[in-house]
Amino acid sequence: MGVGSIQNNSAEVFGNYELKPEFLDEVFSDERKPNDHYRKVLDYFAHLSAQDFKALNDHTKLSFFNQGVTFAVYSDKAKGVERIFPYDLFPRIIPAAEWARLEKGLIQRNLAINHFIHDIYNKKQILRDGKVPAELIFSSKNYTKAMLGVKPVGGIYNHISGTDLIKHSDGQYYVLEDNVRVPSGISYVLANREAMKRTLFNLFRKFQVRTVQDYTQQLLSIMHSVAPEGAETPTCVLLTPGLYNSAYFEHAFLAMDMGIHLVEGRDLFVDKNFLFMKTIYGPHRVDVVYRRVDDDFLDPLLFNPDSVLGVAGLMAAYREGNVTLLNAPGTGAADDKAVYSYVPDMIRYYLNEEPILNNVHTYRCEIDADYKYVIENMHNLVIKPVDESGGYGILVGSKATQEEISNFKDVIRQNRRKYIAQPIMALTRHPTFIENENQFEPRHIDLRAYTLLGKDKQFVLKGGLSRVALTKGSLIVNSSQGGGSKDTWVLAE
Amino acid sequence: MLARIGNSLFWLGRYIERSEHLARYAKVQYASFMDSPLAPSKEFVLESILNMGGMYQSYLSQYPELSEDEVIHYVTIAENNAFSVQANIGYMRENARGARDRISSELWEAINIFYHDINNYSASRLQYEGVHQFSHKVEVNSSIIKGCIDNTLIRNEAWILISLGIHLERAIQVALIMLNKVYDIEKLDASNLGGPVESYQWAIMLKSAESFDMYKRYHPEKKSSYSELNFLLFNQDFPKSLAYNLQKVQGNIRKIAFRDQRNSDSIEFKAGKIASQFQYLTMDEVEGSLTGFLNETVANLNNLAALLEQKYLCF
Repeated sequence: MGVGSIQNNSAEVFGNYELKPEFLDEVFSDERKPNDHYRKVLDYFAHLSAQDFKALNDHTKLSFFNQGVTFAVYSDKAKGVERIFPYDLFPRIIPAAEWARLEKGLIQRNLAINHFIHDIYNKKQILRDGKVPAELIFSSKNYTKAMLGVKPVGGIYNHISGTDLIKHSDGQYYVLEDNVRVPSGISYVLANREAMKRTLFNLFRKFQVRTVQDYTQQLLSIMHSVAPEGAETPTCVLLTPGLYNSAYFEHAFLAMDMGIHLVEGRDLFVDKNFLFMKTIYGPHRVDVVYRRVDDDFLDPLLFNPDSVLGVAGLMAAYREGNVTLLNAPGTGAADDKAVYSYVPDMIRYYLNEEPILNNVHTYRCEIDADYKYVIENMHNLVIKPVDESGGYGILVGSKATQEEISNFKDVIRQNRRKYIAQPIMALTRHPTFIENENQFEPRHIDLRAYTLLGKDKQFVLKGGLSRVALTKGSLIVNSSQGGGSKDTWVLAE
Repeated sequence: MLARIGNSLFWLGRYIERSEHLARYAKVQYASFMDSPLAPSKEFVLESILNMGGMYQSYLSQYPELSEDEVIHYVTIAENNAFSVQANIGYMRENARGARDRISSELWEAINIFYHDINNYSASRLQYEGVHQFSHKVEVNSSIIKGCIDNTLIRNEAWILISLGIHLERAIQVALIMLNKVYDIEKLDASNLGGPVESYQWAIMLKSAESFDMYKRYHPEKKSSYSELNFLLFNQDFPKSLAYNLQKVQGNIRKIAFRDQRNSDSIEFKAGKIASQFQYLTMDEVEGSLTGFLNETVANLNNLAALLEQKYLCF
């Protein structure tokens, strides 16, 4: 007998599962019936007890810990404390047709952003045509003069993009944020999949899941495609800030999987506008750098003069075309929150197409009509500064007090250009194994998708990082604020 | 290979060997004063343990007296000792992490599990399980890690540099064990020299170098300081002897095509010079000046390591 509804399922772990009409659940319909593409998971889970789930969960955690899939937590003790990024046993499943549309939309969006970056550092046509306000770009602290007139190989700037998407209560995907500087998190996608294949192999093999393991080879071939001319077998490296960086595991993992050198700034030097690394046999020329160091720290001669993470003279070598950087410096001018609202216009302008992916409607406080709407509807909106990240300076209207709202109105009034507002999105919820409760409970999720652009080639990872807000009721999925992750299965059919 | 990575791998090998020998030495000495009537005094043993790690002075600067529990804690896991076994294992893991992309997942995982286990070792657990258990854990894990090095790595520069670090450090550690025991024996009462108390100390030397069993196989009858020292210095086939390890050091350096290898300042030349001493000298030639010879060998090996780092592994 198949699983008809939650009640028939293993009551132990789903018995208290709560559905709320204002949020869409990824797995269950309003009538508590499982959606078709999740049916086999629930059938399988029906055979497992709460004890089994606990054992699986513990086993997976230990496996992550032993592999060093951890990030450092800083503490006052001499010894560093290391934590794993919490990983959930219940995979998030995306049906093939749903994915196909996402994939097309992601390529479209990131190609348009690439056109835009090229444009703002060259002819600035979109600004001249008044489609995007020029002062919005020129005032961005991420607009990098050193990039003016640079012609990167293949015309690619945002080789690697991380696009944050959510599914709203209307069942539609919306882009929340574009990350085209140094997006991270891919190693968790790959590690989650490995863990899933080890622990739930009996479930895994019931599905036709698209692979994610080709990511690193795709990335390597993207790197080769944009190598400077004349480099027959280009030497590619991954530049890390070093082993105390919280994402060091990811850097090492990617370098190892691609078989390229994992270098630090101190391993490199520039001589006559060529980049070299110091090997045990002497200097060796470097052609392509996948840098996981922020713009500010790349080259002390041009950016932050105190940086020891970068390489003096790197930008000169780059401008000469003697080395390729992934992503290009200065891409940050395209992913701030005010520029975000123009991405649909960029798609129409550069590609002459209608945008496939939805943007969340964004009110720009600098526009009078928008400003008026924002001030009158603050309790229904999220208000964000355009140029800050990590969730700083944000007001969630529905959670704020009258006093906080009225104070914030003053803040906006003083600098209207700095603020945008968006409706509060109802992120979908997904059953998630909660350790202390020993049962599945609904938690809000998003999806970070990874798109690669190379010379005449595009690739979207079939899957991505489904981030989970582990705190009950929270809409914030960031790992620094109690977020976890799920393996994300894109089905082949 | 990056010079920085080369440096990390070289030191990875050295720290494995260093922590293993330090732990084993403490274990063997500690066990030795439990067997009366040949047993040395407790202070004699504790001082020897601290001397081996070069920590006697730093210990006395922090503790009023030689206490059994404090010394064992200090040498193994004390957070206020930058040269404890635990600290060395931390450095080993740090080097492995820095060279993560050049070693196998199997090797990394073995190191990482070991590190976390030792890093979480509490004082109460040490007291409950004793130095014997602690050291045993270190020795077993050291073997597992070296098994991963030999069975999962391709024989390229990465393996060669780890192996170079292991053999160089082992030669130094065994020389230090021998020196330490020579000094210990000098401290004995004259009445005990030549008797069972002295020969007990030589047996401890062999056990500290994990060489006791093989020595007995090799010399079933003879038991004399002459043949025991001869075994650890000049046996060409035993993996703990200086002669054996120095051959490996020389061989590993030859396998890497470093620049400037032809002249008499080169590390290949210097490594060859040290190794060939151990091929062609005899026990009779060094017996009269043993401490001088051992000290000179340790100094030569330290110089060789420094030259290697300056010329090829600096960044």
